[in-house]
Amino acid sequence: MRLLLYTGKGGVGKTTTAASTGMVAARRGRRTLVVSADAAHSLGDVLGERLSGSPRRLAPRFDALEVDARQVVESHWGRVRAYLVDLLRYQGIDEVVAEELALLPGAEELATLVCVEQWARSGDYDLVIVDCAPTGSTLRLVTLPEVAHGGLRWLLRLQRAAAHVIEPIARGLVGAPIPGGDVFAEADRLFYGTLHRLRARLLSRETSVRIVLTPESMVINEARRSLTDLCLFQIASDAVVLNRMLPDEACREDFFNEWGRLQVERKRDVEEAFAPLPCLVAPLAGDEVRGIEALAEHGELLFGDLDPAARLGESPRMRFERDATGARVRLPLPGLDPRTLEVTRIEDELVVGVADRRRRIALPAGFSKLEVEGIVYRGDELVVSFGSTAAPMTSPDGLSAEANSRDPSVAVTGPGPSR
Amino acid sequence: MRVLLHTGKGGVGKTTLALATALGSARHGHRVCVLSTDPAHSLGDALGEPVGPNPKRIAENVYAREIRAQVELDRAWQSIQSWLRELLREEADELVAEELLAFPGIEELVALRAVHEVEETGDFDVCVVDCAPTGSTMRMLRFPDALRIFMQHFFALERKGARLLRPLVRGFDVGRLIPREDFFDAFERLYLEIDDVRQVLLDGDRTTARLVVNPARVIVDETRRSFAYLSLYGISTDAVLVNRVMPETVGGGYFSRWLEREKEELAAIEASFPVPIHRVSLRSREVIGVSDLEDLAHDLFGDIDPAARLSTSRPIRIRREAGRTRLEIDLPGMTKEEIDVVAKGSDLHVRVRDARRMISLPESVIGKPIEKIRFREPVLEILFGES
Repeated sequence: MRLLLYTGKGGVGKTTTAASTGMVAARRGRRTLVVSADAAHSLGDVLGERLSGSPRRLAPRFDALEVDARQVVESHWGRVRAYLVDLLRYQGIDEVVAEELALLPGAEELATLVCVEQWARSGDYDLVIVDCAPTGSTLRLVTLPEVAHGGLRWLLRLQRAAAHVIEPIARGLVGAPIPGGDVFAEADRLFYGTLHRLRARLLSRETSVRIVLTPESMVINEARRSLTDLCLFQIASDAVVLNRMLPDEACREDFFNEWGRLQVERKRDVEEAFAPLPCLVAPLAGDEVRGIEALAEHGELLFGDLDPAARLGESPRMRFERDATGARVRLPLPGLDPRTLEVTRIEDELVVGVADRRRRIALPAGFSKLEVEGIVYRGDELVVSFGSTAAPMTSPDGLSAEANSRDPSVAVTGPGPSR
Repeated sequence: MRVLLHTGKGGVGKTTLALATALGSARHGHRVCVLSTDPAHSLGDALGEPVGPNPKRIAENVYAREIRAQVELDRAWQSIQSWLRELLREEADELVAEELLAFPGIEELVALRAVHEVEETGDFDVCVVDCAPTGSTMRMLRFPDALRIFMQHFFALERKGARLLRPLVRGFDVGRLIPREDFFDAFERLYLEIDDVRQVLLDGDRTTARLVVNPARVIVDETRRSFAYLSLYGISTDAVLVNRVMPETVGGGYFSRWLEREKEELAAIEASFPVPIHRVSLRSREVIGVSDLEDLAHDLFGDIDPAARLSTSRPIRIRREAGRTRLEIDLPGMTKEEIDVVAKGSDLHVRVRDARRMISLPESVIGKPIEKIRFREPVLEILFGES
């Protein structure tokens, strides 16, 4: 089962491209589902059909749906929700409002992932394509399993402790309903079981992100930042789609001369910035791309002889290296401003921060006793090297170094562990 | 202070027009702060120079700032963080703020708080907000309502519970699970700030939304729905800004079909939105940097002060006629089937597609039966009878 996530800045044509990819794949024999994950759904608009939270067949082997967060929440963690609704109603809040409130923000991203996972596992499809919300939300989406896991594990611990110890006292004093064991069991399943599965799905070799962009510098800049973020979270990309290239005929129009000249440069920028990922090109159509036929045409122009479901390229991955001279973690982070990079080692984890995103990377067993010797950002890659000497077992505090060198190719070595 | 929210479908040029509006307002003598609340910030890209979490001067009387949740949390939430730190004493300090980010609503909270902060400084006459695309913005705007309900129903109770429990569990390990008084104080302060913002947002004299569109079908359709959601949340939209209109110099040729479509969509825009429409045409090259943006502002607004309230129409209106009361809400782009209205006690529950809101009814109609609900696009009319 192949999973493709289409992302990019708003308005670049993600939905069109996701739908046209699906259309071509279906015509070439794959059972395909296109899922719209943007709360402001436009997949239905592009297909010219009304969609719901369940797959609807629109062409042979081609199904589409728009995630309905409310429905997914209801069917997957009804008990947690029922408890919340109970609690809210106990406080005198009307049921309708209670139901609204119990659908927390953040639940939307989770609902999307759960919905995708459900269909990915169903065996009904060879290819599932997700039309993601614009960049900011997509990153929230793909990082959710990881961030939520870290953030929520202690919340759960805390709640359980509170329920066990405080419950008898609280019941007497406050009288509010206390969650029962089944609520915790479900929450547990959600946070450990489901999140774990979703994470595995996102990191799988069968999953790729495709970044859609247009030949404009604002769009390209944002796409580069999201590639960095995707690399940080180890989500593999396999291609970029350069959409809305003006055809020669259009560039002959006086007004578009300058745009035509610029787009040649921009295309070169894109190819350079995203190498080794292949750059697929789709021309601006002479008319709005709407409906099944127009989408199929867009897809044919985009893929030609390529299989739209294939892994079209490979983004560089994180590597752990170990040899006689020491050990290294190599994390590709293309196009990064090294001033925004922050690396901290905390026990057997490496915490890498890029602008305002952070990721914890668990170090392999062999690394945990080694000391960090150097942190370098060079050639689009962060290299953290470890010495061969064992770190003192007693040191709980990590090493912190900020890569704030003016020259990105100069090694920045952090201070030794503070003791 | 005027707050101008810029939202719309992704890629229509929200950031560009928000900056143009800011620069245009400064030309009319206002001191302006531009805030980007879209986690995928692009102020820097549109200005051609980096903008960070600290206010940066980009032109005379114009400052820009990108709101980063992480930075704001580190700065402003000391007492909440210190409680969490105590709670998780075995965890590493540095990660507390990051984990807070996993909480639903935190990003929305931080964005709203930033608007409050700009007002508090007293240094600005206008706060231009470059919002995230439609979906996230709606989430941000309905956040204060949810928080208010939570505070009214839970907060006092939890605080009371904590007060009662504290002496009982003193000395036990579980004692640290109960937040200290200063945590509640901090939370309450935060709530009051957000409630201030809520009042600012709902006051059409202070806050108006500007919807940015391009003349394309899918975009116009979505924007109509956004207008409806904004109305439902009580936020006044005072203008629709149409970006990237094909200039008249473009003849037929390759773009002939596009030109026809545009014409249709421009007409649809004029007909759909009960507010002034401002247009600006596609440039012959990319719009980047202050001087390009100033040009754009001039084309967009002419001699009008962009910070002025461009329309006085209100999204929710109450009219009295012959002793009866009629409530009206502007909901363009919706169909009758997508709207659901129920009166409960002193509130009116309105659902529009998947958005819901409780609207507090005026004294005079509380308890009166709903006699008639009529939807004639774009206006939903609710007629109350005599009890």
